[in-house]
Amino acid sequence: MKLSRRTFLGASAAISGASIAGALSGRAWGASDSVAIASLHDLSGPLDIYGVPSNLCMKVAVEEINAAGGLLGKKVELKVYDGQSDINKYPQYAQKAVLNDRIVMVQGALSGAAREATRPVLRKHKIPFIYGSFYEGGLCEKNTFCVNTGGNQQVVPLLEWSFKNLGKKLYYIASDYNAPRNFGIWNHVMAKREGGQVLADDYYPLDVTDFTAAIAKIQAAKPDIVHSCLVGGPAMSFYRQWAAAGMLNKIPIISIVFAAGNEHAVLAPEETDGVIVAYNYFQELDTPKNKEFLAKVEAVAGKNHPYINGEVFGGYSGVMLWAEAVKRAGSFERDAVLAALESGIRWEGPAGVMTTDGPTHNTMQDVHIIKVKNRVWNLIEKKEQIAPDTYGGRCNVFTNPHQTEFLMPQI
Amino acid sequence: MDQFVILCFAVVNSIALLALISLGLTAIFGMMRVINFAHGEFIMLGGYATVIANHAGVDLWLSMLVVSPLVVGLIGAVVERLIIRRLYGHLVTTMLATWGLSLFLIGAVTAIFGNTTLGVSASLGNIAIGAYSISAYQLFLIAITALLVVFSLLALHWTKYGLIARAAMQNAELAATLGVDCDRVYATTFIIGAAASGLAGALLAPISGVLPHMGAAYVARAFVTVISGGGALITGFLSAATILGPVEALLSYFATPVVGQASLLLLAVIILRLFPTGLSSLWTGGR
Repeated sequence: MKLSRRTFLGASAAISGASIAGALSGRAWGASDSVAIASLHDLSGPLDIYGVPSNLCMKVAVEEINAAGGLLGKKVELKVYDGQSDINKYPQYAQKAVLNDRIVMVQGALSGAAREATRPVLRKHKIPFIYGSFYEGGLCEKNTFCVNTGGNQQVVPLLEWSFKNLGKKLYYIASDYNAPRNFGIWNHVMAKREGGQVLADDYYPLDVTDFTAAIAKIQAAKPDIVHSCLVGGPAMSFYRQWAAAGMLNKIPIISIVFAAGNEHAVLAPEETDGVIVAYNYFQELDTPKNKEFLAKVEAVAGKNHPYINGEVFGGYSGVMLWAEAVKRAGSFERDAVLAALESGIRWEGPAGVMTTDGPTHNTMQDVHIIKVKNRVWNLIEKKEQIAPDTYGGRCNVFTNPHQTEFLMPQI
Repeated sequence: MDQFVILCFAVVNSIALLALISLGLTAIFGMMRVINFAHGEFIMLGGYATVIANHAGVDLWLSMLVVSPLVVGLIGAVVERLIIRRLYGHLVTTMLATWGLSLFLIGAVTAIFGNTTLGVSASLGNIAIGAYSISAYQLFLIAITALLVVFSLLALHWTKYGLIARAAMQNAELAATLGVDCDRVYATTFIIGAAASGLAGALLAPISGVLPHMGAAYVARAFVTVISGGGALITGFLSAATILGPVEALLSYFATPVVGQASLLLLAVIILRLFPTGLSSLWTGGR
């Protein structure tokens, strides 16, 4: 048979048409008895210390839901994607999850860059994005729901407590990228509110390991409080050098990022004793619900599971809050689920009470102020139901439904 | 007055840091013109050797001063035998080979030890200077670096090995005709350079922690210091460190670390523009 151009074109069109139709045919949810959600985290590479435990928490939540009979009669399946600490992978995997694997919810993309790369993809495909990491606050988008603390929810109670109990003069030392700079603005807002004073804002590139000059400058300024927002492996040297210079007992350090990278476990007790942080969750929290949760974590990952801190706990709370919304909505459809979340779901979990906030698409949290001693965290004070900030009314998905920008606090 | 003392300390600290990380490279690049892109990884391996040995129970000072140089020296011997030996004189190929080695070492360490930063604690206390206090460990670091530099100077000029090494460096063929086994000399020098880098990594471990990518922070500055220094082995990189160090330290203190690091590189560019073969051409007449 002679293969003419016409025959060839006709045959290829027919074959492509058939394969597309085949791929589209599986779209009916009602047909299968399981529903899939996606975990999109860094399971390898430098950021895996956040990704691996977050993924573990999601797994624990999914197993708990399935053990209780599933959601709306269907078994929940967790599809895991490894972002490999590479931003390029995030939109790719988000797209694959939505188009290929028929995911109904995506949770992950913890780092700011990954989050910003993933949001537009999910918004375009109308799949809800549950953001489980703590962050600087200001994400008020219709398609996204933030289940962990926003900047003000940690910084405001911590600074309130610090200005009352530690002194009025604050020195801010931080890594130089958008989140710490955003938190830096909150320092000024709170100082004004509480009658305190910010002596300096000192920003350092992420790869600096020599903090001799930094420590000398702090010593010259003589603050009552040092607020540290240093992030990453190299920045840990600050705590080492600070303790080596004998400053650990002289000026208290407060932070809202310390321990997110398990610094308290890596550094020696004589380098960290006395640091004060504020998180919604910490593993040593002494409540019956937390003990149950930790038992389940052990069942999944064994006794040597990674330390569960406030950052990675979002993996668990995100899935549980989404599940509550699905039950209230009676459906997996995005608009129904988002409407359910917006109606204000109150969930009591291992971290205390979390209440979803409709206008801001963030979540009210119980925040714990804790101090570390000998690598163990102890509770100093619990602040209940800290509301997310409204950014002067701009953070409102009812009045600004098409908002996709990231909002910044104003002094 | 206090602030002046602290600034002097910061300056000396910066010089010592540059000198410490460049010492190993000066042996390998300065003497044999082998561009070793895995230099940062030798420093990293020295740091890891200390941390692993210390966590396994070995005394910290023993781990730093004995275990690390030995371990990295051994790794250097293997690398020299397998890779570098075939590539003496081929500049571009050694660059490629050592770059590949660097990637391999980073990957191997990540696969075995993971990505988390590890650390050791060397508590030597601190010294108060008026309103300031400085860590005694950093003083120890400066002292040990000074000792190492003096020791290398003595070794190069007063020992038989030093004489042979300098001869092989100046004119390998002529030295060979006089009965010097140049292959052995090169191998020994590479091992000594690797061991010195390992020692540098070990000494830096208590203040900066170890993670697989830490070499990247040091390799650029080490190369800049050694190349700006020029042909003279010890006085070369020392003079470069003495000029570059204070600039970085003072600008980091009065402005920001970004300005400090940028000005270090800018100054290196200026030095090389004025002295294309490095600073030491001023007293060695070019090489």
